[in-house]
Amino acid sequence: MAAVKSGAPAEGSLLAIIGDEDTVTGFLLAGVGNVDLRKKTNFLIVNEKTAVKKIEDTFKEYTNRDDIAIVLINQFIADMIRHLIANYAKPVPAILEIPSKEHPYDPSKDSILTRVKIMFGGD
Amino acid sequence: MSQNRYVVVPTVTVLAVMKARLVGAVKGHALLKKKADALTVRFRQILKKIVDTKQSMGKTMRESAFALTEAKYAAGEFRHTVFDSVETAQVRVVAQTDNVAGVKIPKFEHIMTGGEGKMGLTGLGKGGQQVQQCRKAFLKSVELLVDLASLQTAFLTLDEAIKTTNRRVNALDNVVRPRLENTISYIKGELDELEREEFFRLKKVQAKKKRDGAIQDAERHAKGVSTTENGAPADMSGTPEDSDIVF
Amino acid sequence: MYGLESLWFNIKDGYVDAVVRGHRSGLLTSPDYNNLCQCETLEDIKLNLTATDYGPYLANEPSPLHTTTIVDRCTEKLVDDWNKMRTNADEPLGQFLDYCTYGHMIDNVVLIVTGTLHERDVHELLDKCHPLGMFDSIATLAVASNMRELYRLVLVDTPLAPYFSESLSAEDLDEMNIEIMRNTLYKAYLDDFAAFCNKLGGTTAEVMRSLLSFEADRRALNITLNSIGTELTRDDRRKLYSNFGLLYPHGHHELAGAEDFDQIRNAMEKCPPYQALFNKLGYGESQMLDKVLYEEEVRRLTDTFEQQFHYGVFYSYMRLREQEIRNLMWISECVAQDQKTRIMDGIVFLF
Repeated sequence: MAAVKSGAPAEGSLLAIIGDEDTVTGFLLAGVGNVDLRKKTNFLIVNEKTAVKKIEDTFKEYTNRDDIAIVLINQFIADMIRHLIANYAKPVPAILEIPSKEHPYDPSKDSILTRVKIMFGGD
Repeated sequence: MSQNRYVVVPTVTVLAVMKARLVGAVKGHALLKKKADALTVRFRQILKKIVDTKQSMGKTMRESAFALTEAKYAAGEFRHTVFDSVETAQVRVVAQTDNVAGVKIPKFEHIMTGGEGKMGLTGLGKGGQQVQQCRKAFLKSVELLVDLASLQTAFLTLDEAIKTTNRRVNALDNVVRPRLENTISYIKGELDELEREEFFRLKKVQAKKKRDGAIQDAERHAKGVSTTENGAPADMSGTPEDSDIVF
Repeated sequence: MYGLESLWFNIKDGYVDAVVRGHRSGLLTSPDYNNLCQCETLEDIKLNLTATDYGPYLANEPSPLHTTTIVDRCTEKLVDDWNKMRTNADEPLGQFLDYCTYGHMIDNVVLIVTGTLHERDVHELLDKCHPLGMFDSIATLAVASNMRELYRLVLVDTPLAPYFSESLSAEDLDEMNIEIMRNTLYKAYLDDFAAFCNKLGGTTAEVMRSLLSFEADRRALNITLNSIGTELTRDDRRKLYSNFGLLYPHGHHELAGAEDFDQIRNAMEKCPPYQALFNKLGYGESQMLDKVLYEEEVRRLTDTFEQQFHYGVFYSYMRLREQEIRNLMWISECVAQDQKTRIMDGIVFLF
C-alpha cells in the first residue's frame, strides 16, 4: 500500500495495455496511449508473431513502472503468461483481464474472479 | 501447561501486571474482531460488485469492439494512423485512498486532460463519425475498467488486511489470552504455595516454642524447692509469658 | 465521337473489357449474402465462399480463421485480377487503371511517412500498405528523415509528385496535420483524375463524371460532417473540397459554413439527386447516412456496366469489389463477435 503513487507524476498515472491490434487501437483512440521522450510506450500490440518472452518482459516492465496504475491485458494473452499473473500479488498496478474481439469473456479463467469464487464457496 | 506461560517471578506485583494485560488482551480482541467484521462486510460488498462489474465489462467490451468494427467498415484501415498519432495520454488515473476501519484502500479515478489531440481529425475524409463513436465507446470501457481496477485493488488490499486482522484476532484469542491466564493461575498457585509454606513454618515455630516452654516448665517443677528459694528471679524473667505474646 | 468509339474500342481494349465484365459476374449476389448471413462460424463462411471466386484464395487457409485473414485473402483476389488487367491494358487504359489506384497510393505514402516520422520498422509498415497502392520505390520512402528530403528524394519519382508540389509547401510538409495532408492530396488527386477523364472524352468522360462528382461530393459532405467541432476553420475546410461535382461551387460555400447536421442537410438538399437520398433519412439520423451513401454509390457503379465501350467499368469493378470486401468483413466480424442482429446493417447488396 505504501507503494501507491510514490514518484508518480503529479498529473496522474497511466493505464498500460497489452492486447491485440484491435483492442489496442480502441484504447489508443480513447486517448490512453502515451509515448515519452525516450520513445517508450505504454502499450504492446500482440500478434501471432510476438514471442511469449516479449510479452513476459513487457508485463514485468509495466508492473514495475511507477507511473502505471492499471495494466489492461487481453484474456487470451493473459493465458499465455498465466504463471506470472497468478503469482502477481501487488495491489498497484492493478491487473485487469479484458476480453478481446475474438475471444469472448470467460470468467472461469480470470485469476481474480477465481479467487472471488473460492471465497464465496469457501467462507 | 507449564510451558504455555510467561517466565515471570511469581509476586503480587507481577500478578497485578498480568491481570492488567489480560484485560487489555480481551479488550483488544473484541476491538479487532469488530474491525475484522467491518472489513468483511465491506469485502463482501466488493466481491458482489466485482462479479457484477466483470460480467458487465464483457458486454461493454463487446460493444466497444463492435464500434471498432463499424469504424473500420466506414473509415477503412485506420489503425496505423491511430498508432502514429499517439503522443501523451489524455486519459489518466489518479489514485486516492479510501479508509475502511483503518485500512487504506487505493481508489482510482480517471481524469481527462487536454483535448482530443491529433485523433480528432482521424477519418476526416470518410468514417470520421464512426471513429469518434468508437472513441466514445472505448472511453466508456475505460471508465468501467478504472472502476473495476479500483474494486479489484480494494479486493486484494482488503483480502490481505482481513487476513492479518484475523491472524491477530486468533493470535489474541488462542495464544496470548490462554498464556496470560495460565501465567495468572501459575502466579496465584505459587503465591498460595508460599502462603502455605509460611503458615507451616509459623506452625513449626510455634510448636518448637511450645516444646521449649514445656521443657522449661518441667525444669522448673524439678527444681520446685529451689524455685521457691530463688524462683522469684526465675519467675521474673517471664519466659512463658513471652511466648504468649507471640501468639 | 460517340459513334466512332464503338468502332475503335474493341481493337485495343476489347479483351480487357471482356475480362472485367466477366469478373463482374463473379461478384456476390443477394442469395450469396443471404447464405453468408446464416453462417454460425467463420469456418461456415469459408465454406460458403469456396463456391465463389474467392474459393481458391481461401481454400488453403488453416483454422482457426481470423476476420483479417478473410479480408486479406479477398483483397488478394482483387489485386490479382487488377494486376492481370493492368498487364494486358493498352494506353490510355493503362493510365486510367493507374489513376484508379492512386487513392490507395496516397494512403500508403501517408502511412509510410507518418510511420517513418515515428521511427517504425519499414517492413512492418510495408505489410500494412494496401497492395493496390504499391509502387516500386515505396520502400525507399523510409530513408528520408524529414519531409523535405522525402519529397526531394523519393516522391518526385512517383506519380503523386505533382499533387505534393501543387498543394503543399515545404513548411506544410513539416507541420501539417497528417489527416489534412491526406485530404489535400486526395483533393488534388480527384481533380486530376476528373481532368484526365475529361481528356479521354466520350462515354468514359460521361460515366466517370457522374462517379467522380459523387465521390467528390461525398468527400465534401464527410469532411464537413467530421470537422464539426474540431479546430478546422471554414477556409481550411474549403481548401479540402474538390473543384468539381454537383456541389461546386455554391454548395461548397454553404457546406463550409455549416455547423450542424441540419445545416449540412439544407446545403445538400439543394441538389435534387441528394435530396432524394436525404429524404430516406429521418431528421437527426446521421448514422444511417453512410449506408445510404454507400448504396447510392453502388447503384451508380452498377449502372456503368449498362453502358458499352468505356473505361468506367474498371473503376466500377474496383469499387464494387472493395464494397464487397467491406461487406464480407462486416459479415465475418458480426459472426465472430456474435452480433448477428446487426448483420444486415452493414451489408450493401451489389446486385
